[in-house]
Amino acid sequence: MSEITAPRRALICGVSGQDGAYLAKFLLDKGYEVWGTSRDAQMNVFAGLQTLGVRDQIKTLSMSPVDFRNVLQVISEIRPHEIYNLGGQSSVGLSFEQPLETMESIAFATLNLLEAIRFVDSSIRFYNAGSSECFGDTGGSPADESTPFHPKSPYAVAKAAATWHVSVYRESYGIFACTGMLFNHESPLRPERFVTKKIVAAACRIAQGSAEKLMLGNIDIRRDWGWAPEYVEAMWRMLNINIPEDFVIATGITQSLRDFIATVFAEAGLDWRDHVVSDPSLRRLSDPLQICANPGKARKLLAWEPSCLGPEVARKMYKAECKQPIPID
Amino acid sequence: MSQPRKVALITGVTGQDGAYLAEFLINKGYIVHGIKRRASSFNTARIDHLYRDPHEDGVRFFLHHGDLTDSSSLIRIIQQVQPDEIYNLAAQSHVAVSFEEPEYTANSDALGALRVLEAIRILGLQKKTRFYQASTSELFGLVQEIPQKETTPFYPRSPYAVAKLYAYWITVNYREAYGMYACNGILFNHESPIRGETFVTRKITRALARIKLGLQECLYLGNMNSLRDWGHAKDYVEMQWLMLQQDKPEDFVIATGVQYSVRDFVNAAAKELSMNIRWEGKDADEVGYLDTQTPRAIVRVDPRYFRPTEVETLLGDASKAKNKLGWTPKITFEELVSEMVREDLKSAERDELVNRHGYKSMDYNE
Repeated sequence: MSEITAPRRALICGVSGQDGAYLAKFLLDKGYEVWGTSRDAQMNVFAGLQTLGVRDQIKTLSMSPVDFRNVLQVISEIRPHEIYNLGGQSSVGLSFEQPLETMESIAFATLNLLEAIRFVDSSIRFYNAGSSECFGDTGGSPADESTPFHPKSPYAVAKAAATWHVSVYRESYGIFACTGMLFNHESPLRPERFVTKKIVAAACRIAQGSAEKLMLGNIDIRRDWGWAPEYVEAMWRMLNINIPEDFVIATGITQSLRDFIATVFAEAGLDWRDHVVSDPSLRRLSDPLQICANPGKARKLLAWEPSCLGPEVARKMYKAECKQPIPID
Repeated sequence: MSQPRKVALITGVTGQDGAYLAEFLINKGYIVHGIKRRASSFNTARIDHLYRDPHEDGVRFFLHHGDLTDSSSLIRIIQQVQPDEIYNLAAQSHVAVSFEEPEYTANSDALGALRVLEAIRILGLQKKTRFYQASTSELFGLVQEIPQKETTPFYPRSPYAVAKLYAYWITVNYREAYGMYACNGILFNHESPIRGETFVTRKITRALARIKLGLQECLYLGNMNSLRDWGHAKDYVEMQWLMLQQDKPEDFVIATGVQYSVRDFVNAAAKELSMNIRWEGKDADEVGYLDTQTPRAIVRVDPRYFRPTEVETLLGDASKAKNKLGWTPKITFEELVSEMVREDLKSAERDELVNRHGYKSMDYNE
């Protein structure tokens, strides 16, 4: 059997999340043999994979990324060509409640995976899910790969540490390891504790007759929201160029949360001002007001160009929430 | 009418900085509590001179067993001590070792700082207790500008530096998120006669003193061209204390602003011992010969000490500390080297004496 015909094997850590599910589907379509891990694969229903209709084609297994023995064993057995590290505590708000677990599940997990790669086969390519949160408040100037970090939550500090671990292992040991600093990327698979999903879910219920009020924190924050199914392709592209580098992945378009809300409610035929209440208790302890991005490097070196931009993200999420058919990718 | 004494808690009190800081604070009138790790062998040599039997009157220095990897030990000690100031100096502080033990380094250096900050919050002491985090010039790693100051972006080059980067930012975050008086001292290299024996400066002064007395043949070093900004630990602990006495918490770079290579340090130490070293060769083949009638090689390069990623140059700009706090280092590079050599020569002489009388002296190996 020739090397060329043998399928490439990918291991996705954190396959039960939004990005894990979309990436699994994307890699399957590319002809990969896809393995996915979750902390307890037996108990997990992998709703995301099911929604995308690929649950049966993904081989899943349990792995706790903070347990080095476990990580080593999984990587030795699967012998993947590519590892995507998407697991870990993913809520900024929760990281103030669970700072220690946040650090362990993000930075220690990354460190264990890098050490296991060094040990098993240092030709394995490694993608690390970084975060735009590392930049903190970028003010008016868009963040790119050379922008210094100023993390503003325990989540962001942990992601910053993980990003630098990747950098140290790339430079010290020549491992093909890189971090994608993805700005907000949304989809119907977002859990409801994310504000975008919370908004579309409430708008949907209100459109169907609910009299509830939607309570939100600071709606003046500005973010760069993109469409998750497009972002997972950037992850794959990062591992399939010649030189490992870190990339900012974003649309380059920043809007306020107020804009996002207005688009969703307009889509529902409603005026958001009748239904939304700003609740100061939902404000975070320190939250960047404005985050904007310059994805020029990804456009140039990865030939990656997102097509779902600005208000289109809000509209697509709303349509999906109200069970109107949308194309999966 | 006397004010109640201030209470300080020092993690890492058995280390170089811990020992100097404890002594400094006791002299300032503080009650000082220190945390030390459990160990089967004694690990308090640097602070034994400060220790008094707790049964005596007026004792102001106390030790507790605890560990930065053990949250409950920290909470218990902080609850008991109710400190006005906490100095978090404990860490796996060796860059080279961090490549071998990256997870332990992250656990003690990164999460250790978080555990202390959390302990302060859990005990409701965030308005009372001030927090000092020992940050490091290694954060600058692959330097983004020369010299480095508070606004220079970080570029860590080792698991040690990455762990310290986490500790730096989590300290900033707790200050911003919870209004805690928490700050970072970004200290450039600081040495002393009680610097750990595995750090390059102490390794040099010990080895040359022993070579001088015929107790050792040769000194093996890594990258001889590394440039560092070396100060005296005694000067630097004063700054740690000053940072916690201000109206509002801020981060400061602490450095001398003068840079020397590892080779310069060897030459300076040799000069103190009236030894003259002649250098030949380059890189891994560089050899330092003792310039006598029959020259012999006393310094060689062992590539084993090269790091997977080297930090070539570090040079600090401590203008902010000078302008805002009036701090300047008092001890010069020559005085530092001279003191270190003098102390190591004393131990070498003791070993030599012991050997001469037929007893074996301890031979400490890395």
